[in-house]
Amino acid sequence: MKPTRYIQLSLLVVFILSITSCRKYLDKVPLDSINTSNFFKTPDDAINAINAAYQPMQRPKLYNLRMWTSDIMAGNSVVGAGGGTDGIETVEEANFTTDPGNPGVLDLWRGPWPGILSCNLVLQNVPGIKMDEALRNRILGEAKFLRANYYFILVRYFGDVPLITTPQSPKDTNYYPSRVDKKLVYNLIIQDLKDAIDLLPRRETYTGSDVGRASKGSAVGLLAKVYLTLGQYADVIPLCQQVTQLGYTLDANYSDNFDPAHKNGPESLFEVQYSGQTNYGFFDDLNQASWTSTFMGPRNTTFVGGAYGWNQPTQEFVDSYEPGDKRKDQTILYQGGPDFYGNVYSSTYSTTGYNVRKFLVPTSKSPQYNTSNEDFPVLRYADVLLMEAEALNATGKTAEAQLPSTDPNATLNKVRARAGLPDVTGLSQADLKEKILHERRMELAFEGDRWFDLVRVDNGQYGLNFLHSIGKTNATAKNLLLPIPQVEIDANPNLKQNPGY
Amino acid sequence: MCFVKYCLSKYSIWYLFLLVPSFLFAQGRKISGTVTDSMGRGIPAVTIAEEGTNNSTIATSDGNFSLVVSGNNPGLLFSSVGYVTKEVKLTGDQSSVNVVLQTSVASLGEVVLVGYGSVKKKDLTGAISNVDVKNLATQPVANAGEGIEGKAAGVQVISSGAPGSNVTFRIRGTGTINNADPLVVVDGVPTDAPLNNIDPNDIASIDVLKDASAAAIYGSRGANGVILITTKKGTNGKGHLSLDFYTAWQKAANVVKVLNAQQFAGLNNEILSNGNQTVNPGYANPDTLGAGTNWLGALFRTAPMQHYSLAFSGGSDKYNYYLSGSVLDQKGIVITTGYRRYTVQFNSQAKPLNWLRIGNNLSLSSDDKPSGSYDIRSAMAANPVQPIFAADGSYSKITGNPLWYGDITNQVGTANINTNDTKGYNILGNIYAEISILPSLTFKSTAGIQALFFDSKSWAPVYDFEPNPQTQAYLSQQFNKSMTYLWDNYFTFDRHFGPDHHLTVLAGTSAQNNRFDYINGNKRDFPSDVTQQLNAGTGEANVGGDASEWALFSLMGRINYAFKDKYLVTATIRRDGSSRFGSDNKYGTFPSASVAWRISKEKFFKVPFVNDLKIRAGYGVTGNQNIGNYSFASNLSIAQYNFNNLPVTIVYPLVLPNPDVQWEQVQQSNVGVDATVLNDRVNLTVDAYLRKTSEMLVPAVVPVTTGYSSTNVPSVNAGTLENKGIEIGISSKNITGVFSWNTDANISFNQNKITSLNGNTPLFVDSYGLNANFGIDQAGHPANEFYGFVTDGIFQTQKEVDDHAVQQAGTTSYNSTSPGDIRFKDLNSDGVINADDRTYIGDPNPQFIYAMNNTFSYKGFDLSVFLQGVYGNKIFNANNIYQEGMSIAQNQTLRTLNRWEGEGTSNYMPRAIYGDPNQNARVSNRFIEDGSYLRIKNVTFSYTLPHQLAQSAHFSSIKIYTACQNLATFTKYSGFDPEVGANGVDYSVYPVTRTFSIGINLNL
Repeated sequence: MKPTRYIQLSLLVVFILSITSCRKYLDKVPLDSINTSNFFKTPDDAINAINAAYQPMQRPKLYNLRMWTSDIMAGNSVVGAGGGTDGIETVEEANFTTDPGNPGVLDLWRGPWPGILSCNLVLQNVPGIKMDEALRNRILGEAKFLRANYYFILVRYFGDVPLITTPQSPKDTNYYPSRVDKKLVYNLIIQDLKDAIDLLPRRETYTGSDVGRASKGSAVGLLAKVYLTLGQYADVIPLCQQVTQLGYTLDANYSDNFDPAHKNGPESLFEVQYSGQTNYGFFDDLNQASWTSTFMGPRNTTFVGGAYGWNQPTQEFVDSYEPGDKRKDQTILYQGGPDFYGNVYSSTYSTTGYNVRKFLVPTSKSPQYNTSNEDFPVLRYADVLLMEAEALNATGKTAEAQLPSTDPNATLNKVRARAGLPDVTGLSQADLKEKILHERRMELAFEGDRWFDLVRVDNGQYGLNFLHSIGKTNATAKNLLLPIPQVEIDANPNLKQNPGY
Repeated sequence: MCFVKYCLSKYSIWYLFLLVPSFLFAQGRKISGTVTDSMGRGIPAVTIAEEGTNNSTIATSDGNFSLVVSGNNPGLLFSSVGYVTKEVKLTGDQSSVNVVLQTSVASLGEVVLVGYGSVKKKDLTGAISNVDVKNLATQPVANAGEGIEGKAAGVQVISSGAPGSNVTFRIRGTGTINNADPLVVVDGVPTDAPLNNIDPNDIASIDVLKDASAAAIYGSRGANGVILITTKKGTNGKGHLSLDFYTAWQKAANVVKVLNAQQFAGLNNEILSNGNQTVNPGYANPDTLGAGTNWLGALFRTAPMQHYSLAFSGGSDKYNYYLSGSVLDQKGIVITTGYRRYTVQFNSQAKPLNWLRIGNNLSLSSDDKPSGSYDIRSAMAANPVQPIFAADGSYSKITGNPLWYGDITNQVGTANINTNDTKGYNILGNIYAEISILPSLTFKSTAGIQALFFDSKSWAPVYDFEPNPQTQAYLSQQFNKSMTYLWDNYFTFDRHFGPDHHLTVLAGTSAQNNRFDYINGNKRDFPSDVTQQLNAGTGEANVGGDASEWALFSLMGRINYAFKDKYLVTATIRRDGSSRFGSDNKYGTFPSASVAWRISKEKFFKVPFVNDLKIRAGYGVTGNQNIGNYSFASNLSIAQYNFNNLPVTIVYPLVLPNPDVQWEQVQQSNVGVDATVLNDRVNLTVDAYLRKTSEMLVPAVVPVTTGYSSTNVPSVNAGTLENKGIEIGISSKNITGVFSWNTDANISFNQNKITSLNGNTPLFVDSYGLNANFGIDQAGHPANEFYGFVTDGIFQTQKEVDDHAVQQAGTTSYNSTSPGDIRFKDLNSDGVINADDRTYIGDPNPQFIYAMNNTFSYKGFDLSVFLQGVYGNKIFNANNIYQEGMSIAQNQTLRTLNRWEGEGTSNYMPRAIYGDPNQNARVSNRFIEDGSYLRIKNVTFSYTLPHQLAQSAHFSSIKIYTACQNLATFTKYSGFDPEVGANGVDYSVYPVTRTFSIGINLNL
């Protein structure tokens, strides 16, 4: 007769249940990522963390776009692209009207820091993991090498930069860091590389999916480049020789260095790896495909997938090839030159009449704009030989720098011989210096190295003279460093702008 | 006496029958009769209530009713939506009464949903708009949201023309720079399903909770307002069958005019020769090229649309049901686009026991949305010299120098060859039980579910037309599943204490959780165009997938108290716990209170022409928890690198965690007046509000030197924003009688201003290309304001160039600022035009929105003319950055014929020059246009056949109608259509369409 009593009772139970059964109900955590507190426990964690320190190099902020467009700033080429506002920020750089709002500069400033954070996390946490000592040393060595390379990028483009060597949180006093004297930055780079040389294994110990990791040779070669940049030529020579002793040789065929089928070859000290997988968006930071072929292919053609028409070599650059230089046909597309996998080039494909060929991957190997697996060379043995020649010449060993290519200790002439060029002999120290820098320009063209040569030699006076000689009269001493991006100064008032911006 | 009243409380009459039948019958007598309209037709679902009691019944579909009354000379109140409530005093022995109800504009008797309950419109204390849905079904629109555009003051609806696309709602301005969409609740279930899932024909009512005192019952989801949608229910009486059919034709209301082949070639020659480039020998004689290809004309078409719906409803005292099905088949005005939808609605309610009511609402829908592969801006830009088809019948391609031919892929080709298709399968439903515990106390438990399954498929076969040939066929598919469960439990206490006091109390809980899963895959290289399955692909396979979850648990309560119908008080509170909030802020509390004073019931109030006058005031706090599911979490992301072509896993920190993250908060005050005047003929509602958003999420400033992402930054609750405005709504019965004329109008003014952000750094919100920002959020300015340079005419002479600040230095006219280029204002007077010379150049938020509907009826004829407009907003016509840029080989608008070609030829359209050295196309007020418009949004003309005629054909009613949606638009805007989206940016926007329809509605 009184169903309501039961109902009331059961309702009360339902209601109380509905109020109290929610303890765990609101605990939802991300399902696709790892909680910070559970990480850095196992050797696999250490490997996954050091792998992460490589990835920022892949991004368009660094090697996939902004670093090779430095060659445009250095006068080897013009932007080209699609007209309108396409690549306008690079046009500004090339005209030396760069301002602190330039997005290309912003990319270069932002690019290295995520890598530095990953390195710092590894250096802080991996020593505490129970694991094989050899593996631990390798991982710590990789972190030191990579951190040095990231800081080396920053310090050459921007001069003084903040120096962050441990992971940060908003409570840290150095959360808004100031820029420190670049000497201190170089001290860290040199110490990191010295440590890395001790910790890293030789490249031939790497197999399978470890091929391409930083090795002892990578660290030795990079340290040589650091000393070259600092003008410490005497320190450069033994390091270059050490690279030779580690078994590095020139590829017989120059263009093999840029062929995805020959990646991590005998000449390669270190390269940024691309697999051409399309599982991330092409413009995504995590993209695994190389941009070089896609961006540099002649626009409106089917030479390569995509073909955005960027990076068109100037007449002055093309004219700079010595007669008989085999690298010209391998580096440049020009009307009347050899066809590209059946595609015949016409000078109407470009505003300068030329396109870059060096980095192009034909559609038979990379069918789409987002499928190129071409690695980007960071350091190769030809560079080491030219560094050695430059250091020898600078330290008065001008003759030694001109040993004939047949000599086992030859440097400059070994590189020239591969290009089909005659040996250089008997040049004066000053002429040889000029010759070596010219050789670097042709050998390393479009690899993003020319700008660094322009700003390092004679404290940049070499670069200014060169830029003025090709009509870039806007360039002044302030342009030897890029501006600190305004948005970064806004975010961190402790950052001060470079002079002149 | 008091005991009787106690027993007769609203929900308990059947319970009472069971317990004390003899007592009740001894006291009552039966009254029966019919309720009809002025044309003698029975009005269904009229509520007949005995005054002073909770005793009531509902008329059948024929208008018949019977009610057992208790008093000796009782008064009966007859009320129904859309009719003037009528009071009839019964004499001592009267046992039947027939009543004629007049249609009403005042509709004070209407019941308005307020969330977890309803109140009579006359008892409202907050700002709630009850949307007129009468004509919703006859409008040729797929989305009910489009149908309510302009129907409620303070509610802005922004539609898109793309078939199957959703509308954007803005209630009382833009409440946050983040997600400012209101909460949508369908039949009591908060949903994130698109409104498309429901056939407009199935909608019984739409109520919009605008102020915080109304929306606070939805707590952390009420900050941007709440839209409550109720689907139709069955009514008492014999079964009722209704068939509605219309067919329609849609067309682009306006297509932007671009150059023909001859004009294009002439312009291209001018661009290149001005830029010191070699001109195309093929364009040497532009006159010979004729008109060429009209790419836009080839992309757009007149498209048909059909809609069928069949509804069956009926019921008795114990059971009622509503069952309907509909089919919508719409082709898009852009070739290959379209939308096809099937819906089923099943609502039922039963009373198996006297103390128990159970029921369900169920909406099923399935849709198919081919969204094509096209780009409207690219079609504007396509080269008119290029034919659509090559000589061999294949789609033509672009080869050669892009400076001569452009590099726009054949838009008709890609549209016809590539397919993009989304299919959706949606279930939205709930079951509930309502139990009368005591006569004045009920308990309701509702279990709801929203299950959304949608999958998309993109297919591109091999094609060779350059510049972007597809060398391998490509297939990409994604499957998504979103499951939301809801469990609401609440008690409602509703009781009159004596003749003067009425108290309603609600207390309850709500729990809702969601999980979203997706999985996708793509492959290249398929052997044939018919094998569009991933298994058939031979190229590299990519797969991906992820899942995310949220949960919400809430306690809520509400008290409504009325004293003598004169003083009305509402107070609500909601406490929300959300999985999205950081551990230190797991729960938020959202209170509100509002009062109303019916002055017209005061003795001193003696204004003869005012029938009802009520003043309202309210204040409340609501929240916005659309802040992302995991903003608080401290996590490492997983991705990959590779060595030697072999992928390896990477684990890395990406976003700096913010463990303190919480909801955004809105504090809103509202005052309002509701008045009914002139013999219930004119109804006026005025509201004024101040809406202060605080704790608004803004991107944290993360120094990039930390290594954490500087673009993917955590949000911090640091911003504030303010909306203030006035809304006026008026309904008037201008003429009544055989010929009637009604007018409904509303106007809403709103001012939007960001009052603070995290620091002084502005946020750029829109950009094109790599760094051309044009939308900005900054304190002291409206949200999403446009930002750029200010033009000052065109340099006519070199002297004018030399006298002005340096814009682009150089030595020749092809690499520097020259006559014919735009003069930009040197705002900081430093002699150089650079980024520092940018300023605020336009506000995309309208100053006011307005609408007016006039309906005329004569015998069976009805005509409604609905005007709707927006005033004072600016549009950034981003298409014209390219289509009036005149620097590359893209087609341009017809306006560029008026370009500068020598001193004095133009002072607004600059010269054509390759490379645009002066950056004439930089973001400037050149591309800002007035977005104000006035539309004849809808005209509907219908004829209802005379009753006898319909009956002789065995129908209870037959109506034929014709309608036109977006008949005409009055605007200065030069683009396709001024309705471009909430951010005011027109970039390849699919224009809204003009639609003509004819239809018929049959009732059996």
